[in-house]
Amino acid sequence: MEITRKEENSVAILSVKGRLDLASGASLKDEVKALMEKEQIMIHLNLAEVDFINSSGLGVLVSIMKDIRLHKGRLTLSDLASYVQEIFEITQLSHIFEIFTSENEAVASYQTVSAS
Amino acid sequence: MATYIFTYASVLESEESMLSDLAKVLSENSIVNSERNDFMLIISEAFTNALLHGNQMNPNKNIYLHIDIKSNQLSADIIDEGELGLREIQSKKPSELYGTNGRGVDLIRHYSSHVDFTEAENGGTKVSMVLDRKLEKVTS
Repeated sequence: MEITRKEENSVAILSVKGRLDLASGASLKDEVKALMEKEQIMIHLNLAEVDFINSSGLGVLVSIMKDIRLHKGRLTLSDLASYVQEIFEITQLSHIFEIFTSENEAVASYQTVSAS
Repeated sequence: MATYIFTYASVLESEESMLSDLAKVLSENSIVNSERNDFMLIISEAFTNALLHGNQMNPNKNIYLHIDIKSNQLSADIIDEGELGLREIQSKKPSELYGTNGRGVDLIRHYSSHVDFTEAENGGTKVSMVLDRKLEKVTS
């Protein structure tokens, strides 16, 4: 799995590429942990290039979300492939994650929240 | 029809090896799109269960993967050498929405056309999964 990082309007954006599973999930968790240690708690994950996810990968995302919320932060997801989206719906995780169609929409939503 | 047999040690790195082997098998047999994703998912879930719950990451215990590819069905057996795997599956409670685990067996049941959890001859757990293939309609 490859992770690339950038920042836009104070939101850390991680683009994830490859498989999100038991072994690779630890890298994503470490990456998010490093951001949170720098007090970056507004985090967006672009999953456009995730070509495989299983329940271990889902567990990592839930764990990340819980950590971020515990620190009063916010996690958003975007660009899920239809196959990944389907798994989120089957497991009902689509109800507890903020999922956007595109990265731009997700990042814009942070401005809306902070302006209101 | 094609048959493949793989053996893996119960270490974390084996999951990546198994997924790479599986991707190669599926590619060789031109299995793509949703069939590929669904088959990879159910095998991955059963493999993770065998690794963590069945063999409890004991590197001296193996996980065996048997794959049969037919024109109308994709079948896979995952066999571990543990003692607790089957009991854990049978006593599994519904997964919690905010839980970080417990979704694997639900996903296997959802995506498999048929699935059986049984005791293997070696005393471990055998997960037998079948995926009926979506045959293309012939149009005249």
